[in-house]
Amino acid sequence: MSETGVRDSLDELKTAAKSSIAEASSLSELADIETTYLGRKGQLTQLLRGVGELPPEERPTFGRLVNEARAGLEQALADRRAALAETEGAQRLRAEALDVTLPGRFYTVGRQHPLSATMDRIKRIFLGLGYEIVDSPEIERYHYNFESLNYPEEHPAMDEQMSFYVTDDLLLRTQTTAVQARIMESRQPPLRICTMGRCYRSDEVDATHSHTFHQVDCFAVDEDITFADLKGTLYNFAREMFGPDTQVRFRPDYFPFVEPGAEVAITCVICGGEGCGVCKSTGWLELGGAGMIHPNVFRQVGIDPEQYSGFAFGLGIDRMPMMMYRIDDLRLFLENDIRFLRQV
Amino acid sequence: MKLSVEWLKEFVGFDCSIDELAKSLTMAGLEVEDIVTYSPDELARLGGGREGPSGPVFDVKVTPNRGDWLSVIGVAREAAAILATKLTVSEATAEGAPPPTSSAIEVTIVAPDLCRRYAAGLVRNVTIKESPDWLRNRLIMAGMRPINNIVDITNYVMIEYGQPLHAFDYHLLRGAEIIVRRAAPEEVMATIDGQQRELSSDMLMIADRDRAVAVAGVMGGADTEVAETTRDVLIESANFDPVSIRRTSKTLGLTTESSYRFERAVDPSITVAALKRAAELMRDLADGEIAEGVVDAYPAEIQPLTIELRPERANKLLGWNIEPCEMAQLLQLLGMSVRLNNPLQVTVPTFRSDITEEIDLIEEIARLHGFDKIETTLPESPSQGRECEVNLFEDRLRQLLLRCGAQEVMTHSIVDSSLVERTGLAERVVHIRNPLREDLSRLRVMLIPGLLETLSRNAAFGAKDLAIFEIGRVYHYGRDGLIAQNRSVAGALIGSQWAGAWNLDRSALEADFYLCKGVVDALLDSLEIREREYTAAQSPLLHPTRSAVVRSGGAEIGILGEVEASVRESFDLRGRPYVFELDFETLRFQAGRRRVYRPVARYPAIYRDLSVVVDEDRPYAEVRNAISEAGGEWIERVELREVYTGRPLSPGQKSLLLSLAFRSVERTLTDQIVNDQMARIKDRLTAELSAAIRGAE
Repeated sequence: MSETGVRDSLDELKTAAKSSIAEASSLSELADIETTYLGRKGQLTQLLRGVGELPPEERPTFGRLVNEARAGLEQALADRRAALAETEGAQRLRAEALDVTLPGRFYTVGRQHPLSATMDRIKRIFLGLGYEIVDSPEIERYHYNFESLNYPEEHPAMDEQMSFYVTDDLLLRTQTTAVQARIMESRQPPLRICTMGRCYRSDEVDATHSHTFHQVDCFAVDEDITFADLKGTLYNFAREMFGPDTQVRFRPDYFPFVEPGAEVAITCVICGGEGCGVCKSTGWLELGGAGMIHPNVFRQVGIDPEQYSGFAFGLGIDRMPMMMYRIDDLRLFLENDIRFLRQV
Repeated sequence: MKLSVEWLKEFVGFDCSIDELAKSLTMAGLEVEDIVTYSPDELARLGGGREGPSGPVFDVKVTPNRGDWLSVIGVAREAAAILATKLTVSEATAEGAPPPTSSAIEVTIVAPDLCRRYAAGLVRNVTIKESPDWLRNRLIMAGMRPINNIVDITNYVMIEYGQPLHAFDYHLLRGAEIIVRRAAPEEVMATIDGQQRELSSDMLMIADRDRAVAVAGVMGGADTEVAETTRDVLIESANFDPVSIRRTSKTLGLTTESSYRFERAVDPSITVAALKRAAELMRDLADGEIAEGVVDAYPAEIQPLTIELRPERANKLLGWNIEPCEMAQLLQLLGMSVRLNNPLQVTVPTFRSDITEEIDLIEEIARLHGFDKIETTLPESPSQGRECEVNLFEDRLRQLLLRCGAQEVMTHSIVDSSLVERTGLAERVVHIRNPLREDLSRLRVMLIPGLLETLSRNAAFGAKDLAIFEIGRVYHYGRDGLIAQNRSVAGALIGSQWAGAWNLDRSALEADFYLCKGVVDALLDSLEIREREYTAAQSPLLHPTRSAVVRSGGAEIGILGEVEASVRESFDLRGRPYVFELDFETLRFQAGRRRVYRPVARYPAIYRDLSVVVDEDRPYAEVRNAISEAGGEWIERVELREVYTGRPLSPGQKSLLLSLAFRSVERTLTDQIVNDQMARIKDRLTAELSAAIRGAE
């Protein structure tokens, strides 16, 4: 083969290779092209093998030309490969594309009931104040619900506590305060006790009344417990529960087991005390009752009221989420409409 | 109690606005719940007169300990104390003419334990007519209905003084006698409301020589009622025992303005004053002639109580520091007399029968001085806060079930009878003796019915796919006859448990028995209750062949399964609900308390598949247990992959495809070892369970 002949076929090969590289439409096609020209049995390789047929003085030049051609093709292949990879990748991504706006799948997640969530919050506050949370029975003895709490026999104070009786001696507790004497008769001061749970009164059910409701009761007995301590404790609770701007009002009220006795109210969480529909324009929302434990309660359980004093308070739990979430109907809590439960 | 402000002003003057007065009273414990203003027109419409008084009316809420506030004078007295001003009450003299009352009536108290005082006064020749406008208006504003001048006057004085009165037609009383005695056995009497009353021997009666003429302190009798024809009126002003009046009123189901006041204690010192006031009004408004004197039976005169008050004790309890003389001043404003010794000697007027000991005086000082003047402090805590074990365990269960995706609910404990009848535990149900309504007389014995009711209510609103749970008390009579009121934990699943599962087969999403069991298993796993056994359950609530009872360590933990068809229908549920209910205390008792770390294996596991064909009714648990037992110490896991029935199996057979994993914590197992174990397993299955091993060489 003459030098010119070899050069021509080299140029031909380069042109053919370059055009097939340019026309290659996939990476696998490109791999085939690479084999065809640059593989061990490829055309360029074959051509290089033909160098032996050339005169010795032409061999270096030809060798250089072939190597240049090889480098040129390798470069073209690499460029094309990059271009094709980009396109092919894009195609694959397009093929794998998802509509990210379609809904996600997960099992329906449950939530805590608003009353139990409220009770948890209350508990955390009183645990932080050093209270011991105790469990207390709902079916309670008359003695603990009334007698031990200084309710005189046949007293009109019981009209506010219309009870459901199970036997002569057993009733559904009307107040969580019933736990007081149970604890005090078996333990010695100092005491910081908190209990919460269901209470029952014979009340017809409407938006603001129910025969079943929930209360939290706390009491503290120690050598120097004062009414100021009672106020401080409830201030602390109200601010933790309802926010740092909450004000607390103590108004004289009567409960046989405390003296002095007070009704506890907080500034309306809706209007902040300005007066609105929720607080009936008073600016205050009633939370419950409180006071200093009556000496008769101490005497009955053998605690000396001269040595010890104590305070006690009982707060309605149902009202708290009602205030916080502006719920206007008490019945919603025990009806368990999922549309309600998923909101609060 | 309602009272018009203009009536109040007759006894106490005040400069402040009506709203301010209302607020002051409220902050002293006498809550003014509402202020309603009456116009002359409205009063006229209600049977009053345009010429009489009108204006604002206080609706006050009187606490049960303060019967002395149940009168205009009582409220005025409190207002005077708060405003540090004077109370003006002019005493009626009721000068009368002979012949004296004592010649017309004789009063005998046979039951002095129930009647502390009984006074009678006679007014002759009255003219029965309508009361004047001013009196009618005041009665209407106080919420009472005017009747005639005599009846109106008794009501008027009751509201003004707080002393209930009764007027008898003197000539209808027999024997010129009033006897205050207990009712005779089986005695009956017609009261003025036209009812025939059956009396019992613990009730106090007012009687004449022959018969009962009034239920003392509650209601007068029809026979001796004042009417158009009445000429002479005998006024009764008495003081009855609060407990006795309350019992009588409750037994008769009859609460009156009179019984309401007597229950809350009436001042025994105003008996005669109120009677004289009524007599004067009858003279002025009914043209009556007051008979000279009153008959006043007062066996043991009640003396004002003197109580010692230690000022330092008051200061210590209230957490403030006020001077003894200031305390004395406050008490004096409330009508008490105080000797400034240490301790203070405080004499309490008889209208304050609620004050019997030192703490009562301390309350009065705090109340009048103002709770707002007491500072706020936090007591030191003797120990850190502590949650009780039961609550901690309840929280643990709650968190586990929430993590299972279930929504927490809280249902009523007082339930409809239909909710307990289906439980099969009806004879152990706790009943309420005095329910609001007969259909609300039982306490729940299980939680499942309440959960089904919740599913039903939600389905009615379109929420057909739900998972809910409740942890709450259930109540029943135990074998010992005592009431158990422990907690229970229950759940209910219905429909799809997935949200947005649009690209999965719907049938794979629906709750079924095994999802329900999966929740129970997850719960028990978390509680480290490993040993457990599921066997067929027998609960009337559950599908007979799709339910189980789960036991651990010999104790029954609870039940689970598909809800029985007729129960489901009675709750109007379309889909198939699955439920479980577990005993809280059993769970608490069985739950693992301490976890100990077990080393994680570092050597590879060898996996083998096993396909076993057994009779269709052979429980999987038997196959599984046989494998575990025969598999030796290295069998790590037995996992069921598939259950298959149908061709090419013979009818009545099923094949179980299992994946077994073998692993040693000490070394790498060889194929040979595992092959030996597999052979043992297969032998055991064929020998004991007549199983065929599919694909066996």
